[in-house]
Amino acid sequence: MRPLTKNRPKALIPVANSPIIDYSIRALVATGIREIIVVVGYRKEHVIRYLNRCEFPIQVVEQKNQLGTGDALKCAEPLVREDFLVLPGDNYIDAASLAKIKDEKNAVLVQDHPYPSNFGVVITKKGEVTEIIEKPEHAPSFTVSTGIFSLSKDFFTVLKGTELTDAVNEMIARGGHLKAVSTGAWQDAVYPWDLLALNKKTVGGIDPVKSGTIDRTAVIRGAVRIGRGAHIGPFAVVHGPAVIGENARIGSHCTIGPSVSIGDRVTVEPFTLLEDSLLMDDSSIGSHSRVVEAVIGEGSALMDHTTVTPGTPFMEIEGTVIRGRFGCIIGDQVRSEPHCIYQGAIVGNNTRIRGGKMITGLDAAQDGVVVV
Amino acid sequence: MCGIFGYNGGIKAPGIVLEGLRRLEYRGYDSFGIATLGDKIRVRKQQGRIPETGYETGNLAGSIAIGHTRWATHGIPDHRNAHPHLDCGGKIAIVHNGIIENYLALKQELTGKGHRFQSDTDSEVIAHLLEEVYDRDLLTSLTTVLPRLEGSYAILAIAQGDSRIIAARHRSPLVLGIGDRAMFAASDMAPILEHTRRVMVLEDGDIATFTPESVEIFHDGRKVRRPEEIIEWSVEDVRKGGFSHYMLKEIYEQPAVFSDAIRSLRKEEVPLVFSESGQVTIVACGTSYHAAMVFRYLLEEHCHVPARVELASEFRYYPPPLSGLVIGISQSGETADTIMALEMATLQGSPTLAIVNVVGSSLSRIADATLSMRAGPEISVAATKSFIAELAVFLHLIDVMKSGSLGPHLDHAHQAMEEALLIDLGNAVTCCRAAKDIFFVGRGPYYPLALEGALKMKEISYIHAEGYAAGEIKHGPFALLSPETPMVAICAPGETYAVMTSNIREMKARGTPLIILGEQGDRDLEELADVFIPLPEAGSIAGLLSATVILQLLAYHTADALGRDIDRPRNLAKSVTVE
Repeated sequence: MRPLTKNRPKALIPVANSPIIDYSIRALVATGIREIIVVVGYRKEHVIRYLNRCEFPIQVVEQKNQLGTGDALKCAEPLVREDFLVLPGDNYIDAASLAKIKDEKNAVLVQDHPYPSNFGVVITKKGEVTEIIEKPEHAPSFTVSTGIFSLSKDFFTVLKGTELTDAVNEMIARGGHLKAVSTGAWQDAVYPWDLLALNKKTVGGIDPVKSGTIDRTAVIRGAVRIGRGAHIGPFAVVHGPAVIGENARIGSHCTIGPSVSIGDRVTVEPFTLLEDSLLMDDSSIGSHSRVVEAVIGEGSALMDHTTVTPGTPFMEIEGTVIRGRFGCIIGDQVRSEPHCIYQGAIVGNNTRIRGGKMITGLDAAQDGVVVV
Repeated sequence: MCGIFGYNGGIKAPGIVLEGLRRLEYRGYDSFGIATLGDKIRVRKQQGRIPETGYETGNLAGSIAIGHTRWATHGIPDHRNAHPHLDCGGKIAIVHNGIIENYLALKQELTGKGHRFQSDTDSEVIAHLLEEVYDRDLLTSLTTVLPRLEGSYAILAIAQGDSRIIAARHRSPLVLGIGDRAMFAASDMAPILEHTRRVMVLEDGDIATFTPESVEIFHDGRKVRRPEEIIEWSVEDVRKGGFSHYMLKEIYEQPAVFSDAIRSLRKEEVPLVFSESGQVTIVACGTSYHAAMVFRYLLEEHCHVPARVELASEFRYYPPPLSGLVIGISQSGETADTIMALEMATLQGSPTLAIVNVVGSSLSRIADATLSMRAGPEISVAATKSFIAELAVFLHLIDVMKSGSLGPHLDHAHQAMEEALLIDLGNAVTCCRAAKDIFFVGRGPYYPLALEGALKMKEISYIHAEGYAAGEIKHGPFALLSPETPMVAICAPGETYAVMTSNIREMKARGTPLIILGEQGDRDLEELADVFIPLPEAGSIAGLLSATVILQLLAYHTADALGRDIDRPRNLAKSVTVE
């Protein structure tokens, strides 16, 4: 997920202007769960600060070393008093799916995935899980574990190692039952461009609210949420679903949406088109730009006449060659001068791109470099 | 933010509520009050913090009590505006946390019907609205009244002849506690956990009634149940919200404090006394004094307005042919020296302006005008977010004088602080924790930051630390430099850069370990430094803020590594109310 996870844990990456973890918490609350424990580690102060803004108290436990999911769960053991749900804080899930397993003694939410090898593949027999194989090279099925379990308190007796999956397999080997319950709502983000799909999903579920000032010649269609103090200029067109944050400024003649999230204090200059994109807080896009399938990090500025267009580059990430389709993934505090073109490009944090460059793939993926 | 607390269960009600309010003081502490329900409703309220000892609950009596500790939003913090508020007949009492946005319209309507208001608060309308519809059933009355309120609220209400407390919430927190023949309601769990571990969290739109034995909750007119929870954590955990110390929590709040302060300052007029003054004198102590020194550099540079900055405790020894405005600045507004200095300025006939965090504090009462820094309650003894909020006020004043040309910089300055929070200070902490003496140097506006960095270091880590203007090092302190005395130098691009680097080279020659804050990618500095810390937005106004955050964190992590009692450093008090 680099460059986006350098400055924040994945759980705090915003989609539709709320951190990913917020969706899990809201789903839990909507399911009637009030006792929530969050295990924090990487950039823990940021997570804690975020949780403090939540309406009701959430207990926080620190995992000193990020050894694995099983170890994380073990950190929470002293606070767990009864049967419980365990879920990753950086995936999307909805309340209806959680409700399906909430009252099961031992159950796991499963979902079919086109690339099962990135996940724990679930083998079932008559609705019962017989084994979970973590990231197999050749997956025997397309059904994967969402990492969301409903477990009984005595699960901790088999929780010995650092990985949750090992403990689950151990429980099954000892004759324990684990029911597989399927869902279609789960969404994980493994690669940064997966955020575009997550963004599309979450923007699609917003409640439309119109605050701020909207010029009377502007056109707002579909479900659009506009934050306080935001300004939509003359002749701008916003196609829902879209979210526009507080104090954001959309210039005249812009076309925004569908599936666009725009963070707080973002500026979009006149005559710019934005589609299927995620702009984090304090970023800006210059005039006369065309930006499609882009993720733009906090405080980054793309100047005028920028083009972001989807590409499908091959990339070697952590030793494996993969291919994704996206326009660009741009880190935090990037400065990009006029007339740049991005096609399937990943750009590191604090990078500067001189004018007129064409960037694809991992050309500018390192942090803090200057591309001339 | 305010705190509310209610108790229904026995004769000690006034004392229990008073103790509960003490636990909620972090939500606000500029006035407090309690109402009890016995044979009739009795109220006692007063301005200021709850006294440590010796507060008499006096004539308060009854087994039912509600209380409130206030952080003023509508109406100055005084006895009149303190909660609980009563209706005209004195038969209904309420406490409220939140903001009633349409209170002016409601107040007008009620005044038209003959209601007499005692306070300037938004909350009082609730009591009068209840009176308007009350017919011996408070639950029905409150259910009728709530749809008329716009905004946010957590309300507790009592009425004469009704042995229940009625509670309601909408977008403000409210928690119920279930004890042994006693029930509690509070803004958070802190005051409840002393009495019971069984709690219920109300949801938006819930109305609850409780007697000592039972709780009933209604939502949309239907009776509902809310799950009961057993809470096993300590009161301290609740308030620190997972952070290891208040200081760290407050450091992390700073980006939001800065943006919120700028945003709300823009909504109000700059006091006339400021815009009309040709010369400015600022009196302050400690951290506020350092903020004032930063102001002086910026004011003279950007606006060419001459400014004097004086230690409040020394101010009176200057023969004062004062002219122009005198600004007193104090987080608590109760700093004795600053109050004395401002009183003196008033006697001289100078116009005065107070900049305080606690609205209605002594300092703001004696000044001609007041600006609030809006940092929210600061608990840690070592000031952090109030320093940033003071800088926000000063930067805003300069922005106004420059007709808004700083505006865009201020809008995005919080980002530099966010970036500073991400920087790993591990090596710098290793360097500092072993030292007996540490020097901090800077030039220009970075000089006061060096002073502030040194102050934070000494007050919480107990390591002897001194801040100097870099040019002064050669006039004496140079004799102390050695491989055992780390030097923290702030060296940002700009006017002072060239001479700073030559100063640093001289120190390097003494073998002094150098911790340098400079612009990212500055190869020269990286080479010179033993520990190089990249300074976000170096050289700009935002860079002053990010440097502040880094120096605070350096002090914090050093003190933490040494195992110091960070939130309560030895021998120090939060506000110094004696000379």
